[in-house]
Amino acid sequence: MEFDWSPEDEAFRRDLVAFLDQTLPQDWEEMSKQGPGGEGQAQFSREFAAGLAERGWLTQHWPVAHGGAGASSWRHAILGEELWSRGEPRGPQYMNVNWIGPTIMEFGSQAQKREHLTRISAGDVFWCQGFSEPEAGSDLVALRSMARREDDVYVVNGTKIWTSYANHADFCFLLVRTDPDSKRHRGISVLLMPMDLPGVEIREIPAVVGERYFHEVFLDEVRVPVSCRLGPENEGWSVVTYALQYERVGAPRYARGARTLDRLAEHARERGLLEDPTILEKLGEARALCEAARVLSYRVIDQRAHGAPPSADSNVARVAGTLADRSVGELALEIFGADGLESGSFADSNFRMAMTAGVAVGATEIQLNLIAGRFLGLPRE
Amino acid sequence: MDFEPSPDQSAILEAVETLLAQRAGPERAIELAAKGEYDFELEEALSEAGFVDVALGEETGFLEAALVVEAVARAGGVVAAGARLLVAPGAAERPLPGPVALATDRIDRPVRYGAHARTLLVADGDEAGVVRLEPGEFEPVPSGYGYPFGRGARSLLDRADSLGPGSGPRMRGWWRVALAAEAVGTMAAALRVTVDYLKQRRQFGRAIGSFQAVQHRLAECAVSVEGARWLMLEAAWQGARPEAAAVAAAHATTAAARVFRETHQLSGAIGYTREHDLHVWSMRLQALRLELGGAAAQRRAVAESRWAGGA
Repeated sequence: MEFDWSPEDEAFRRDLVAFLDQTLPQDWEEMSKQGPGGEGQAQFSREFAAGLAERGWLTQHWPVAHGGAGASSWRHAILGEELWSRGEPRGPQYMNVNWIGPTIMEFGSQAQKREHLTRISAGDVFWCQGFSEPEAGSDLVALRSMARREDDVYVVNGTKIWTSYANHADFCFLLVRTDPDSKRHRGISVLLMPMDLPGVEIREIPAVVGERYFHEVFLDEVRVPVSCRLGPENEGWSVVTYALQYERVGAPRYARGARTLDRLAEHARERGLLEDPTILEKLGEARALCEAARVLSYRVIDQRAHGAPPSADSNVARVAGTLADRSVGELALEIFGADGLESGSFADSNFRMAMTAGVAVGATEIQLNLIAGRFLGLPRE
Repeated sequence: MDFEPSPDQSAILEAVETLLAQRAGPERAIELAAKGEYDFELEEALSEAGFVDVALGEETGFLEAALVVEAVARAGGVVAAGARLLVAPGAAERPLPGPVALATDRIDRPVRYGAHARTLLVADGDEAGVVRLEPGEFEPVPSGYGYPFGRGARSLLDRADSLGPGSGPRMRGWWRVALAAEAVGTMAAALRVTVDYLKQRRQFGRAIGSFQAVQHRLAECAVSVEGARWLMLEAAWQGARPEAAAVAAAHATTAAARVFRETHQLSGAIGYTREHDLHVWSMRLQALRLELGGAAAQRRAVAESRWAGGA
């Protein structure tokens, strides 16, 4: 047990910060207010992620065999922290390197690896996640989208919902039921579906959290080649479980929260509020929550670095991240007061970014169920 | 970065846990609490086995000492482990004779371990001071909050030998780490006792611990305690860096309130009795939560150390 960064990791962080200072455009702050799925941010990410790829930083944590540098998971965590804290200039592509790529590495065919890992590590491809459905939210295994096999294609019908980045995506990491008689975890398969196939329709769902944040994806007789299936037919649930473990600590929201807090404290100082014990207490409490989320995420990264199997620690980290995000978002509004209600203001954009934390990537209640069962060993009904 | 204990760290932990299994535990804590006594035998045993010197050891340091303090708290030990193993070596940079009690200038209010201490460490402004205490100088204060307490006349502070400029903030930093370490061990034990009980206790034809309303509250406690634990260990590793120490203490004392509330609420009436072990740890959490100005002061210390250049 020791908690120092290696000199190499520290040097990498310095180089990365310098690169960001140099590369992010003047109007980046404005551009990034709508989140990773915002129009300008997504477009900029093509150039930005390609730049990271050129430096060998985008997928350095991937094994050499898959075009990575075999760097430790710590190195990738540093990348995630610095990029999230600046509002994620990788746009939607953070998902590619965090969990879509690693899942394809684990379960993909040679051809799938060649095609997708190459494109992902070049930094110029967008994915979306086709998990939730109108009748399958937290109860994901209730999903009903159906893929009927006809020779070498699956004919897919169904609806996916809350799909971020669907408007930009080239591919969808899609969950479907391939066995019509199956229930729950069985009979599910994963398809790596090109979004330009006939029969795929996208509708934006207007949302209070940001523009182009949520979409509904309608699938009407979409013919997806069988070669697009990831992993064995009807056994997609193990693929999903694997992917989710990576997803839950993929986005270090605490890093953005910590940066926002620094800005809030600066603002409080300018207004003479830093003398106010109540403000100090609230800032201190929020800072502690961000720090707790950080060390708990590190705990998961450390397990990964040791090659340990995924554990409920990722759920613990996720819940801590949500608490941190929520506390910073609320404090931003409190410190700015009514000024924070103006659209596009600093407090507004931070609050709206934070407000989805408890629902995105699996509702907090689901995380708590998993912690109770796997971490505390409490019995099921 | 490495969150797994090294073989040496595992060996230290195993050794102290073996010792604690023989000499500490809830039964011993209850027996001593009934008489308001201190576990001098346990302190002697810890000292003989070398655990008191871990922080300033040649091959060990404050992180290892923090792990030992956490283990002592988990076992319900009635010894001032945090003060002796972390704060004394941290503030004085040399071992001090135990038992060691920690105080601000308000020693006329209940001080944890005050009535049994030979050394009083006082954090007052920029300088910390050491007062050698004679038996009887502090009077015992009866308390149901899991520790023996004592109070003394403030004039005793006139005898304090200063540890020099800068020792005050240093002592407060280590005090916060020690406080967090004791809170973490205490919370983990309170939570474990509660989880074990709720797995067995049946109502409505099923284990209470299988109800989601119950599970979520325990899971939230686990998130708080785990966070506090890693923050505390990181702060110990970083030499009680002011912000890290304040963060660990703030998070741990906030968690302590939650863990007390939930473990008692979910344990029902048995949790209020001396026939169930929960109180050995839970009542202590209230005392820890109030130390060094209380949770609110720890939170302010976070903000002051990060953004206002204070500690």
